[in-house]
Amino acid sequence: MSQFIQSLVDALSAGAVLGLAALAIGLVFGVIRLANFATGEIITGAGYALVLTWDLGWYVAIPLSILVAVILSLLMELAVFSRMRKAGPATLLIASFGVSFLLQRVYELIFGNNVRSAPVASNLSQSVEVAGIRLQLLSVTAIVLSAILLVLLQLFLTRTTLGLQLQAAAADFTTARLVGIPASRVIGLSFVLSGVLAAAVAFVLTTQSGAVGPTFGVRITVLALVGAVIGGIDKISGALAGGFLVGFASSMLETWLPQGVGNFRDAFVYVLVIVVLLLKPSGLLVRGRGAVRT
Amino acid sequence: MHSSRPTWERVAVSIDSSTISAVGLHVTGLTVSYNGVPAVRGIDLAVAGGEAVGLIGPNGAGKSSSLLAIMGATARTGAVRINGRDASGLVPEKVVRLGIALVPEGRHVFADLSVKDNLRLGGVARRTKSGAQEAMDKVMDLFPILREFASRPAGLLSGGQQQQLAIGRALMSDPDVLMLDEPSLGLSPTAVDTVFEALAAVRAAGKAVLVVEQRAEFTIAFCDRTYVLHDGVITLSLKPEDAENVQILTEAYFG
Repeated sequence: MSQFIQSLVDALSAGAVLGLAALAIGLVFGVIRLANFATGEIITGAGYALVLTWDLGWYVAIPLSILVAVILSLLMELAVFSRMRKAGPATLLIASFGVSFLLQRVYELIFGNNVRSAPVASNLSQSVEVAGIRLQLLSVTAIVLSAILLVLLQLFLTRTTLGLQLQAAAADFTTARLVGIPASRVIGLSFVLSGVLAAAVAFVLTTQSGAVGPTFGVRITVLALVGAVIGGIDKISGALAGGFLVGFASSMLETWLPQGVGNFRDAFVYVLVIVVLLLKPSGLLVRGRGAVRT
Repeated sequence: MHSSRPTWERVAVSIDSSTISAVGLHVTGLTVSYNGVPAVRGIDLAVAGGEAVGLIGPNGAGKSSSLLAIMGATARTGAVRINGRDASGLVPEKVVRLGIALVPEGRHVFADLSVKDNLRLGGVARRTKSGAQEAMDKVMDLFPILREFASRPAGLLSGGQQQQLAIGRALMSDPDVLMLDEPSLGLSPTAVDTVFEALAAVRAAGKAVLVVEQRAEFTIAFCDRTYVLHDGVITLSLKPEDAENVQILTEAYFG
Protein backbone atom coordinates (compact mmCIF):
# COMPACT_ATOMS: atom_id res chain seq x y z
CA MET A 1 0.00 0.00 0.00
CA SER A 2 2.68 2.45 1.04
CA GLN A 3 4.61 1.63 -2.10
CA PHE A 4 1.51 2.41 -4.14
CA ILE A 5 0.99 5.79 -2.48
CA GLN A 6 4.67 6.54 -2.94
CA SER A 7 4.40 5.78 -6.64
CA LEU A 8 1.20 7.79 -6.82
CA VAL A 9 2.91 10.86 -5.40
CA ASP A 10 5.84 10.39 -7.77
CA ALA A 11 3.44 10.05 -10.69
CA LEU A 12 1.50 13.14 -9.61
CA SER A 13 4.77 15.03 -9.53
CA ALA A 14 5.84 13.75 -12.95
CA GLY A 15 2.41 14.66 -14.28
CA ALA A 16 2.56 18.13 -12.75
CA VAL A 17 5.92 18.91 -14.30
CA LEU A 18 4.94 17.57 -17.70
CA GLY A 19 1.69 19.50 -17.40
CA LEU A 20 3.70 22.70 -16.92
CA ALA A 21 5.85 21.88 -19.95
CA ALA A 22 2.77 21.15 -22.06
CA LEU A 23 1.24 24.40 -20.85
CA ALA A 24 4.39 26.26 -21.92
CA ILE A 25 3.81 24.87 -25.41
CA GLY A 26 0.01 25.26 -25.36
CA LEU A 27 0.07 28.95 -24.38
CA VAL A 28 2.08 29.89 -27.45
CA PHE A 29 0.23 27.47 -29.70
CA GLY A 30 -3.10 28.96 -28.70
CA VAL A 31 -2.06 32.37 -29.91
CA ILE A 32 0.07 31.82 -33.02
CA ARG A 33 -0.43 28.12 -33.91
CA LEU A 34 3.21 27.38 -33.20
CA ALA A 35 3.94 24.04 -31.51
CA ASN A 36 7.34 25.19 -30.35
CA PHE A 37 9.68 22.22 -30.24
CA ALA A 38 12.48 24.55 -29.18
CA THR A 39 10.74 24.93 -25.81
CA GLY A 40 13.15 22.12 -24.90
CA GLU A 41 16.12 24.39 -25.48
CA ILE A 42 14.55 27.10 -23.32
CA ILE A 43 14.41 24.49 -20.57
CA THR A 44 18.02 23.53 -21.29
CA GLY A 45 19.12 27.17 -21.20
CA ALA A 46 17.44 27.72 -17.84
CA GLY A 47 18.98 24.45 -16.63
CA TYR A 48 22.50 25.61 -17.56
CA ALA A 49 21.86 28.91 -15.79
CA LEU A 50 20.90 27.04 -12.62
CA VAL A 51 23.79 24.59 -12.67
CA LEU A 52 26.46 27.13 -13.58
CA THR A 53 25.45 29.78 -11.06
CA TRP A 54 24.16 27.62 -8.21
CA ASP A 55 27.26 28.24 -6.06
CA LEU A 56 26.44 31.96 -6.10
CA GLY A 57 23.31 31.17 -4.11
CA TRP A 58 19.80 30.15 -5.04
CA TYR A 59 18.64 33.76 -4.90
CA VAL A 60 20.96 34.48 -7.82
CA ALA A 61 20.58 31.24 -9.72
CA ILE A 62 16.80 30.96 -9.74
CA PRO A 63 15.97 34.53 -10.87
CA LEU A 64 18.79 34.29 -13.42
CA SER A 65 17.41 31.04 -14.84
CA ILE A 66 13.96 32.60 -15.20
CA LEU A 67 15.52 35.59 -16.92
CA VAL A 68 17.50 33.38 -19.30
CA ALA A 69 14.36 31.38 -20.16
CA VAL A 70 12.26 34.48 -20.83
CA ILE A 71 14.97 36.12 -22.93
CA LEU A 72 15.55 32.94 -24.96
CA SER A 73 11.82 32.59 -25.51
CA LEU A 74 11.39 36.19 -26.66
CA LEU A 75 14.55 36.01 -28.75
CA MET A 76 13.35 33.06 -30.80
CA GLU A 77 10.03 34.82 -31.34
CA LEU A 78 11.74 38.01 -32.51
CA ALA A 79 14.48 36.41 -34.56
CA VAL A 80 12.53 33.59 -36.19
CA PHE A 81 8.82 33.16 -35.58
CA SER A 82 7.75 36.79 -35.89
CA ARG A 83 9.16 36.72 -39.42
CA MET A 84 6.88 33.92 -40.49
CA ARG A 85 3.48 35.06 -39.26
CA LYS A 86 1.68 33.95 -42.40
CA ALA A 87 3.14 30.44 -42.34
CA GLY A 88 0.96 27.47 -41.41
CA PRO A 89 1.33 25.38 -38.25
CA ALA A 90 3.36 22.70 -40.07
CA THR A 91 5.90 25.22 -41.35
CA LEU A 92 6.17 26.80 -37.92
CA LEU A 93 6.72 23.41 -36.30
CA ILE A 94 9.52 22.59 -38.74
CA ALA A 95 11.07 26.01 -38.13
CA SER A 96 11.00 25.30 -34.40
CA PHE A 97 12.86 22.01 -35.05
CA GLY A 98 15.47 24.11 -36.79
CA VAL A 99 15.76 26.48 -33.83
CA SER A 100 15.93 23.50 -31.49
CA PHE A 101 18.81 21.78 -33.32
CA LEU A 102 20.65 25.07 -33.77
CA LEU A 103 20.51 25.83 -30.05
CA GLN A 104 21.61 22.30 -29.16
CA ARG A 105 24.73 22.83 -31.29
CA VAL A 106 25.28 26.24 -29.73
CA TYR A 107 25.10 24.72 -26.23
CA GLU A 108 27.53 22.04 -27.36
CA LEU A 109 29.97 24.66 -28.61
CA ILE A 110 29.77 26.77 -25.48
CA PHE A 111 29.44 24.17 -22.72
CA GLY A 112 30.80 21.05 -24.40
CA ASN A 113 29.20 17.70 -24.95
CA ASN A 114 29.57 16.53 -21.37
CA VAL A 115 27.03 17.40 -18.75
CA ARG A 116 27.61 20.27 -16.37
CA SER A 117 26.54 19.48 -12.87
CA ALA A 118 25.88 21.15 -9.54
CA PRO A 119 23.98 20.11 -6.42
CA VAL A 120 20.94 22.23 -7.29
CA ALA A 121 18.62 22.41 -4.28
CA SER A 122 20.22 19.21 -2.98
CA ASN A 123 18.32 19.45 0.29
CA LEU A 124 15.21 18.59 -1.72
CA SER A 125 16.58 15.21 -2.76
CA GLN A 126 16.05 13.69 0.67
CA SER A 127 12.88 11.90 1.58
CA VAL A 128 10.43 12.62 4.34
CA GLU A 129 8.21 10.26 6.20
CA VAL A 130 4.54 11.15 6.43
CA ALA A 131 2.26 8.73 8.30
CA GLY A 132 4.62 5.86 7.68
CA ILE A 133 4.99 6.60 4.00
CA ARG A 134 8.34 7.72 2.64
CA LEU A 135 7.94 10.53 0.14
CA GLN A 136 10.54 12.19 -2.04
CA LEU A 137 10.66 15.81 -0.90
CA LEU A 138 11.35 16.77 -4.50
CA SER A 139 8.13 15.11 -5.68
CA VAL A 140 6.13 17.03 -3.11
CA THR A 141 7.93 20.24 -4.07
CA ALA A 142 7.17 19.70 -7.75
CA ILE A 143 3.48 19.21 -7.00
CA VAL A 144 3.31 22.28 -4.77
CA LEU A 145 5.31 24.42 -7.21
CA SER A 146 3.07 23.40 -10.11
CA ALA A 147 -0.06 24.05 -8.09
CA ILE A 148 1.13 27.52 -7.12
CA LEU A 149 2.07 28.38 -10.71
CA LEU A 150 -1.27 27.13 -12.00
CA VAL A 151 -3.23 29.17 -9.48
CA LEU A 152 -1.19 32.28 -10.30
CA LEU A 153 -1.63 31.71 -14.02
CA GLN A 154 -5.35 31.13 -13.60
CA LEU A 155 -5.68 34.34 -11.58
CA PHE A 156 -3.70 36.22 -14.19
CA LEU A 157 -5.76 34.86 -17.09
CA THR A 158 -9.15 35.48 -15.52
CA ARG A 159 -8.67 38.52 -13.29
CA THR A 160 -6.48 40.85 -15.34
CA THR A 161 -7.33 42.63 -18.57
CA LEU A 162 -4.06 41.45 -20.06
CA GLY A 163 -4.91 37.86 -19.14
CA LEU A 164 -8.34 38.18 -20.71
CA GLN A 165 -6.72 39.55 -23.84
CA LEU A 166 -4.46 36.51 -23.99
CA GLN A 167 -7.42 34.17 -23.54
CA ALA A 168 -9.36 35.96 -26.26
CA ALA A 169 -6.41 35.83 -28.65
CA ALA A 170 -5.94 32.13 -27.93
CA ALA A 171 -9.61 31.47 -28.63
CA ASP A 172 -9.99 33.56 -31.79
CA PHE A 173 -6.98 35.54 -32.92
CA THR A 174 -8.65 37.33 -35.84
CA THR A 175 -11.61 38.52 -33.81
CA ALA A 176 -9.33 39.53 -30.95
CA ARG A 177 -7.49 41.87 -33.30
CA LEU A 178 -10.76 43.23 -34.71
CA VAL A 179 -11.83 44.01 -31.16
CA GLY A 180 -8.62 45.94 -30.75
CA ILE A 181 -6.34 43.59 -28.84
CA PRO A 182 -2.77 44.32 -29.97
CA ALA A 183 -1.36 41.19 -31.60
CA SER A 184 2.25 41.91 -30.73
CA ARG A 185 1.42 42.41 -27.07
CA VAL A 186 -0.40 39.10 -26.58
CA ILE A 187 2.12 37.17 -28.64
CA GLY A 188 4.99 38.59 -26.61
CA LEU A 189 3.11 37.84 -23.42
CA SER A 190 2.55 34.22 -24.41
CA PHE A 191 6.28 33.77 -25.02
CA VAL A 192 7.13 35.37 -21.67
CA LEU A 193 4.73 33.10 -19.77
CA SER A 194 5.99 30.12 -21.72
CA GLY A 195 9.54 31.05 -20.68
CA VAL A 196 8.58 31.30 -17.00
CA LEU A 197 6.94 27.87 -17.10
CA ALA A 198 9.96 26.41 -18.89
CA ALA A 199 12.19 27.79 -16.12
CA ALA A 200 10.02 26.08 -13.50
CA VAL A 201 10.32 22.80 -15.40
CA ALA A 202 14.08 23.30 -15.64
CA PHE A 203 14.29 23.84 -11.87
CA VAL A 204 12.56 20.55 -11.07
CA LEU A 205 14.56 18.61 -13.68
CA THR A 206 17.93 19.99 -12.58
CA THR A 207 17.12 19.27 -8.97
CA GLN A 208 16.30 15.70 -9.94
CA SER A 209 19.39 15.05 -12.02
CA GLY A 210 21.84 17.74 -10.93
CA ALA A 211 23.29 17.65 -14.43
CA VAL A 212 22.57 19.50 -17.66
CA GLY A 213 23.75 18.62 -21.17
CA PRO A 214 22.94 20.04 -24.62
CA THR A 215 19.89 17.80 -25.06
CA PHE A 216 18.64 18.18 -21.48
CA GLY A 217 15.19 19.51 -22.40
CA VAL A 218 14.45 17.30 -25.39
CA ARG A 219 12.79 14.28 -23.81
CA ILE A 220 10.35 16.23 -21.67
CA THR A 221 9.47 18.47 -24.60
CA VAL A 222 8.65 15.52 -26.85
CA LEU A 223 6.43 14.07 -24.14
CA ALA A 224 4.89 17.48 -23.44
CA LEU A 225 4.07 17.96 -27.12
CA VAL A 226 2.50 14.53 -27.16
CA GLY A 227 0.55 15.38 -24.03
CA ALA A 228 -0.61 18.70 -25.45
CA VAL A 229 -1.85 16.97 -28.58
CA ILE A 230 -3.66 14.28 -26.59
CA GLY A 231 -5.41 16.82 -24.39
CA GLY A 232 -6.23 19.14 -27.24
CA ILE A 233 -3.45 21.65 -27.90
CA ASP A 234 -6.09 24.11 -29.09
CA LYS A 235 -7.21 24.73 -25.54
CA ILE A 236 -4.94 25.87 -22.74
CA SER A 237 -6.64 23.53 -20.27
CA GLY A 238 -6.42 20.71 -22.81
CA ALA A 239 -2.66 21.01 -23.13
CA LEU A 240 -2.25 21.06 -19.36
CA ALA A 241 -4.45 18.02 -18.78
CA GLY A 242 -2.84 16.06 -21.60
CA GLY A 243 0.65 16.81 -20.32
CA PHE A 244 -0.35 15.75 -16.84
CA LEU A 245 -1.85 12.52 -18.13
CA VAL A 246 1.25 11.56 -20.09
CA GLY A 247 3.58 12.34 -17.19
CA PHE A 248 1.40 10.46 -14.75
CA ALA A 249 1.03 7.43 -17.01
CA SER A 250 4.72 7.36 -17.85
CA SER A 251 5.72 7.41 -14.19
CA MET A 252 3.19 4.77 -13.19
CA LEU A 253 4.31 2.53 -16.02
CA GLU A 254 7.92 2.92 -14.96
CA THR A 255 7.08 1.75 -11.44
CA TRP A 256 4.61 -0.99 -12.16
CA LEU A 257 5.65 -2.52 -15.47
CA PRO A 258 7.49 -5.82 -14.93
CA GLN A 259 11.25 -5.67 -14.72
CA GLY A 260 12.80 -5.48 -18.17
CA VAL A 261 9.67 -4.09 -19.78
CA GLY A 262 9.92 -0.87 -17.79
CA ASN A 263 12.63 0.34 -20.09
CA PHE A 264 10.06 0.50 -22.83
CA ARG A 265 7.63 2.71 -20.92
CA ASP A 266 7.83 5.46 -23.50
CA ALA A 267 6.65 2.95 -26.10
CA PHE A 268 3.61 2.26 -23.93
CA VAL A 269 2.98 5.98 -23.63
CA TYR A 270 2.99 6.29 -27.41
CA VAL A 271 0.58 3.37 -27.73
CA LEU A 272 -1.71 5.33 -25.43
CA VAL A 273 -1.28 8.36 -27.66
CA ILE A 274 -2.17 6.41 -30.80
CA VAL A 275 -5.29 5.01 -29.15
CA VAL A 276 -6.42 8.46 -28.02
CA LEU A 277 -5.75 10.02 -31.40
CA LEU A 278 -7.65 7.27 -33.17
CA LEU A 279 -10.65 7.75 -30.93
CA LYS A 280 -10.55 11.53 -30.50
CA PRO A 281 -8.35 13.14 -33.16
CA SER A 282 -8.92 16.67 -31.88
CA GLY A 283 -7.91 15.86 -28.32
CA LEU A 284 -9.65 14.59 -25.23
CA LEU A 285 -10.91 17.92 -23.96
CA VAL A 286 -11.97 19.48 -27.23
CA ARG A 287 -15.63 19.15 -28.00
CA GLY A 288 -17.10 19.15 -31.48
CA ARG A 289 -15.02 20.79 -34.16
CA GLY A 290 -11.41 19.72 -34.43
CA ALA A 291 -8.30 21.75 -33.88
CA VAL A 292 -8.52 23.33 -37.31
CA ARG A 293 -8.70 27.10 -37.04
CA THR A 294 -11.37 28.76 -39.12
CA MET B 1 -8.81 45.20 -66.37
CA HIS B 2 -12.35 43.90 -66.13
CA SER B 3 -13.87 46.14 -68.79
CA SER B 4 -13.84 43.33 -71.32
CA ARG B 5 -16.29 41.32 -69.25
CA PRO B 6 -19.98 41.82 -69.71
CA THR B 7 -20.38 43.31 -66.32
CA TRP B 8 -22.37 45.81 -64.39
CA GLU B 9 -22.27 49.42 -65.02
CA ARG B 10 -20.66 51.26 -62.16
CA VAL B 11 -22.79 53.61 -60.18
CA ALA B 12 -20.99 56.78 -59.27
CA VAL B 13 -21.28 57.26 -55.55
CA SER B 14 -20.94 60.94 -55.03
CA ILE B 15 -18.79 61.82 -52.10
CA ASP B 16 -18.99 65.39 -51.04
CA SER B 17 -15.35 66.29 -50.43
CA SER B 18 -16.30 68.79 -47.74
CA THR B 19 -17.47 65.94 -45.51
CA ILE B 20 -14.31 63.88 -45.76
CA SER B 21 -12.82 65.30 -42.60
CA ALA B 22 -16.08 64.98 -40.66
CA VAL B 23 -17.29 62.13 -38.49
CA GLY B 24 -17.86 58.97 -40.47
CA LEU B 25 -16.37 56.60 -42.98
CA HIS B 26 -15.05 57.51 -46.42
CA VAL B 27 -13.84 54.86 -48.80
CA THR B 28 -12.53 55.52 -52.29
CA GLY B 29 -11.29 53.01 -54.84
CA LEU B 30 -11.29 50.10 -52.40
CA THR B 31 -9.89 47.01 -54.09
CA VAL B 32 -9.34 43.57 -52.58
CA SER B 33 -7.83 40.56 -54.33
CA TYR B 34 -7.34 37.01 -53.18
CA ASN B 35 -4.44 35.32 -54.95
CA GLY B 36 -4.77 37.74 -57.83
CA VAL B 37 -8.53 37.23 -58.19
CA PRO B 38 -10.33 40.50 -57.53
CA ALA B 39 -13.14 40.29 -54.95
CA VAL B 40 -13.77 44.00 -54.58
CA ARG B 41 -13.01 46.30 -57.52
CA GLY B 42 -12.58 49.90 -56.66
CA ILE B 43 -15.69 50.74 -54.70
CA ASP B 44 -16.49 54.14 -53.23
CA LEU B 45 -18.56 54.46 -50.07
CA ALA B 46 -19.43 57.19 -47.64
CA VAL B 47 -21.32 56.94 -44.37
CA ALA B 48 -21.79 60.05 -42.28
CA GLY B 49 -22.64 60.30 -38.60
CA GLY B 50 -26.32 59.67 -37.88
CA GLU B 51 -26.72 57.77 -41.13
CA ALA B 52 -27.26 54.09 -41.88
CA VAL B 53 -26.01 52.66 -45.15
CA GLY B 54 -26.78 49.17 -46.38
CA LEU B 55 -24.67 46.94 -48.56
CA ILE B 56 -26.53 44.09 -50.23
CA GLY B 57 -25.82 41.72 -53.06
CA PRO B 58 -25.52 38.04 -53.88
CA ASN B 59 -23.10 35.68 -52.15
CA GLY B 60 -19.51 36.28 -53.16
CA ALA B 61 -20.23 39.84 -54.28
CA GLY B 62 -17.48 41.13 -52.00
CA LYS B 63 -19.54 42.46 -49.11
CA SER B 64 -17.65 40.81 -46.26
CA SER B 65 -14.34 41.39 -48.02
CA SER B 66 -15.12 45.10 -48.14
CA LEU B 67 -15.78 45.30 -44.40
CA LEU B 68 -12.68 43.28 -43.52
CA ALA B 69 -10.61 45.40 -45.88
CA ILE B 70 -11.86 48.61 -44.25
CA MET B 71 -10.72 47.17 -40.89
CA GLY B 72 -7.28 46.38 -42.31
CA ALA B 73 -7.85 42.67 -41.76
CA THR B 74 -7.16 41.82 -45.38
CA ALA B 75 -4.75 43.29 -47.92
CA ARG B 76 -6.24 46.09 -49.96
CA THR B 77 -5.60 49.16 -52.06
CA GLY B 78 -7.59 52.36 -52.11
CA ALA B 79 -8.18 55.03 -49.53
CA VAL B 80 -10.01 54.50 -46.25
CA ARG B 81 -10.58 57.47 -44.01
CA ILE B 82 -12.22 57.17 -40.62
CA ASN B 83 -13.26 60.42 -38.98
CA GLY B 84 -11.05 62.14 -41.48
CA ARG B 85 -7.98 60.12 -40.54
CA ASP B 86 -6.15 57.93 -43.00
CA ALA B 87 -6.35 54.22 -42.18
CA SER B 88 -4.05 52.96 -44.92
CA GLY B 89 -1.44 50.44 -43.91
CA LEU B 90 -2.82 50.09 -40.39
CA VAL B 91 -3.40 46.72 -38.68
CA PRO B 92 -6.93 46.04 -37.32
CA GLU B 93 -6.05 46.86 -33.70
CA LYS B 94 -4.88 50.31 -34.86
CA VAL B 95 -7.85 50.88 -37.20
CA VAL B 96 -10.27 50.24 -34.32
CA ARG B 97 -8.64 53.05 -32.40
CA LEU B 98 -9.57 55.55 -35.12
CA GLY B 99 -13.19 55.11 -34.00
CA ILE B 100 -14.63 52.23 -36.01
CA ALA B 101 -15.83 48.78 -34.96
CA LEU B 102 -16.90 45.68 -36.86
CA VAL B 103 -19.43 43.12 -35.68
CA PRO B 104 -18.17 40.13 -37.65
CA GLU B 105 -20.28 37.64 -39.51
CA GLY B 106 -21.13 34.71 -37.27
CA ARG B 107 -20.86 36.94 -34.18
CA HIS B 108 -17.56 35.44 -32.96
CA VAL B 109 -18.11 36.08 -29.29
CA PHE B 110 -15.43 34.61 -27.00
CA ALA B 111 -17.44 31.56 -26.01
CA ASP B 112 -15.48 30.53 -22.90
CA LEU B 113 -15.42 34.03 -21.43
CA SER B 114 -18.31 35.58 -19.54
CA VAL B 115 -20.59 38.15 -21.11
CA LYS B 116 -19.01 40.80 -18.92
CA ASP B 117 -15.47 39.81 -19.89
CA ASN B 118 -16.45 39.91 -23.56
CA LEU B 119 -17.67 43.45 -23.07
CA ARG B 120 -14.58 44.37 -21.07
CA LEU B 121 -12.43 43.23 -23.99
CA GLY B 122 -14.47 45.40 -26.32
CA GLY B 123 -13.35 48.32 -24.18
CA VAL B 124 -9.66 47.62 -24.81
CA ALA B 125 -9.75 49.86 -27.87
CA ARG B 126 -11.39 52.84 -26.15
CA ARG B 127 -9.83 56.10 -27.16
CA THR B 128 -10.25 57.54 -23.70
CA LYS B 129 -9.15 55.66 -20.61
CA SER B 130 -12.11 56.74 -18.55
CA GLY B 131 -15.75 55.91 -19.08
CA ALA B 132 -15.47 52.15 -19.59
CA GLN B 133 -17.93 51.48 -16.77
CA GLU B 134 -20.40 54.01 -18.19
CA ALA B 135 -20.03 52.44 -21.61
CA MET B 136 -20.84 49.02 -20.14
CA ASP B 137 -23.88 50.44 -18.37
CA LYS B 138 -25.05 51.99 -21.63
CA VAL B 139 -24.62 48.71 -23.52
CA MET B 140 -26.53 46.86 -20.81
CA ASP B 141 -29.31 49.44 -20.98
CA LEU B 142 -29.49 48.90 -24.72
CA PHE B 143 -29.47 45.10 -24.31
CA PRO B 144 -30.89 44.30 -20.85
CA ILE B 145 -30.38 40.57 -21.41
CA LEU B 146 -26.64 41.14 -21.20
CA ARG B 147 -27.02 42.54 -17.70
CA GLU B 148 -29.10 39.57 -16.67
CA PHE B 149 -26.54 37.07 -18.03
CA ALA B 150 -23.44 39.14 -17.22
CA SER B 151 -21.53 36.31 -15.58
CA ARG B 152 -22.67 33.54 -17.93
CA PRO B 153 -20.17 32.15 -20.48
CA ALA B 154 -20.97 33.75 -23.84
CA GLY B 155 -21.06 30.34 -25.52
CA LEU B 156 -24.18 29.44 -23.56
CA LEU B 157 -26.22 32.35 -24.94
CA SER B 158 -28.73 31.89 -27.77
CA GLY B 159 -27.88 33.15 -31.25
CA GLY B 160 -29.87 36.32 -30.78
CA GLN B 161 -28.29 37.00 -27.41
CA GLN B 162 -24.82 36.39 -28.85
CA GLN B 163 -25.56 38.89 -31.60
CA GLN B 164 -26.55 41.45 -28.97
CA LEU B 165 -23.32 40.69 -27.15
CA ALA B 166 -21.28 41.04 -30.34
CA ILE B 167 -22.86 44.44 -31.01
CA GLY B 168 -22.43 45.44 -27.38
CA ARG B 169 -18.77 44.43 -27.49
CA ALA B 170 -18.28 46.58 -30.58
CA LEU B 171 -20.02 49.54 -28.92
CA MET B 172 -17.76 49.28 -25.87
CA SER B 173 -14.97 51.05 -27.74
CA ASP B 174 -17.42 53.94 -28.30
CA PRO B 175 -16.92 53.95 -32.07
CA ASP B 176 -18.20 56.68 -34.37
CA VAL B 177 -18.64 54.14 -37.15
CA LEU B 178 -20.29 50.77 -36.54
CA MET B 179 -20.11 48.11 -39.24
CA LEU B 180 -22.10 44.89 -39.08
CA ASP B 181 -21.70 41.80 -41.23
CA GLU B 182 -25.01 39.95 -41.61
CA PRO B 183 -26.38 40.70 -38.14
CA SER B 184 -29.68 38.92 -38.86
CA LEU B 185 -28.12 35.67 -40.07
CA GLY B 186 -29.67 32.67 -38.32
CA LEU B 187 -31.77 34.75 -35.93
CA SER B 188 -35.46 34.43 -35.13
CA PRO B 189 -37.73 37.27 -36.34
CA THR B 190 -38.02 38.64 -32.79
CA ALA B 191 -34.27 38.61 -32.37
CA VAL B 192 -33.86 40.43 -35.68
CA ASP B 193 -36.26 43.09 -34.46
CA THR B 194 -34.27 43.54 -31.26
CA VAL B 195 -31.05 43.92 -33.22
CA PHE B 196 -32.44 46.46 -35.68
CA GLU B 197 -34.16 48.46 -32.95
CA ALA B 198 -30.77 48.75 -31.32
CA LEU B 199 -29.20 49.80 -34.61
CA ALA B 200 -31.84 52.49 -34.97
CA ALA B 201 -30.89 53.76 -31.52
CA VAL B 202 -27.21 53.70 -32.44
CA ARG B 203 -27.95 55.69 -35.58
CA ALA B 204 -30.11 58.13 -33.63
CA ALA B 205 -27.17 58.64 -31.28
CA GLY B 206 -25.26 60.11 -34.20
CA LYS B 207 -23.10 57.18 -35.15
CA ALA B 208 -22.48 56.09 -38.73
CA VAL B 209 -23.83 52.58 -39.39
CA LEU B 210 -22.78 50.38 -42.30
CA VAL B 211 -24.64 47.11 -42.49
CA VAL B 212 -24.08 44.17 -44.80
CA GLU B 213 -27.18 42.04 -45.15
CA GLN B 214 -28.79 39.23 -47.13
CA ARG B 215 -32.30 40.39 -46.41
CA ALA B 216 -32.59 42.99 -49.14
CA GLU B 217 -36.07 44.42 -48.62
CA PHE B 218 -35.62 44.82 -44.92
CA THR B 219 -32.25 46.50 -45.31
CA ILE B 220 -33.37 48.92 -48.00
CA ALA B 221 -36.30 49.98 -45.83
CA PHE B 222 -34.14 50.44 -42.76
CA CYS B 223 -31.17 52.25 -44.26
CA ASP B 224 -30.98 55.79 -45.53
CA ARG B 225 -29.19 54.46 -48.60
CA THR B 226 -28.45 50.95 -49.75
CA TYR B 227 -25.83 50.00 -52.27
CA VAL B 228 -26.03 46.85 -54.33
CA LEU B 229 -22.69 45.15 -54.69
CA HIS B 230 -22.27 42.77 -57.60
CA ASP B 231 -19.07 41.08 -58.61
CA GLY B 232 -17.04 43.50 -56.54
CA VAL B 233 -18.63 46.61 -58.03
CA ILE B 234 -21.41 48.85 -56.71
CA THR B 235 -24.14 48.65 -59.34
CA LEU B 236 -27.12 50.33 -57.75
CA SER B 237 -27.90 52.85 -55.08
CA LEU B 238 -31.35 52.48 -53.55
CA LYS B 239 -33.54 54.62 -51.32
CA PRO B 240 -35.94 53.33 -48.65
CA GLU B 241 -38.92 53.76 -51.00
CA ASP B 242 -37.33 51.25 -53.39
CA ALA B 243 -37.84 48.48 -50.85
CA GLU B 244 -41.13 47.44 -52.33
CA ASN B 245 -40.09 47.76 -55.92
CA VAL B 246 -39.74 44.12 -56.85
CA GLN B 247 -38.34 44.89 -60.26
CA ILE B 248 -35.43 46.89 -58.88
CA LEU B 249 -34.65 44.13 -56.41
CA THR B 250 -34.76 41.41 -59.02
CA GLU B 251 -32.53 43.45 -61.26
CA ALA B 252 -30.14 44.07 -58.44
CA TYR B 253 -29.66 40.37 -57.79
CA PHE B 254 -30.16 38.74 -61.16
CA GLY B 255 -29.61 41.47 -63.71
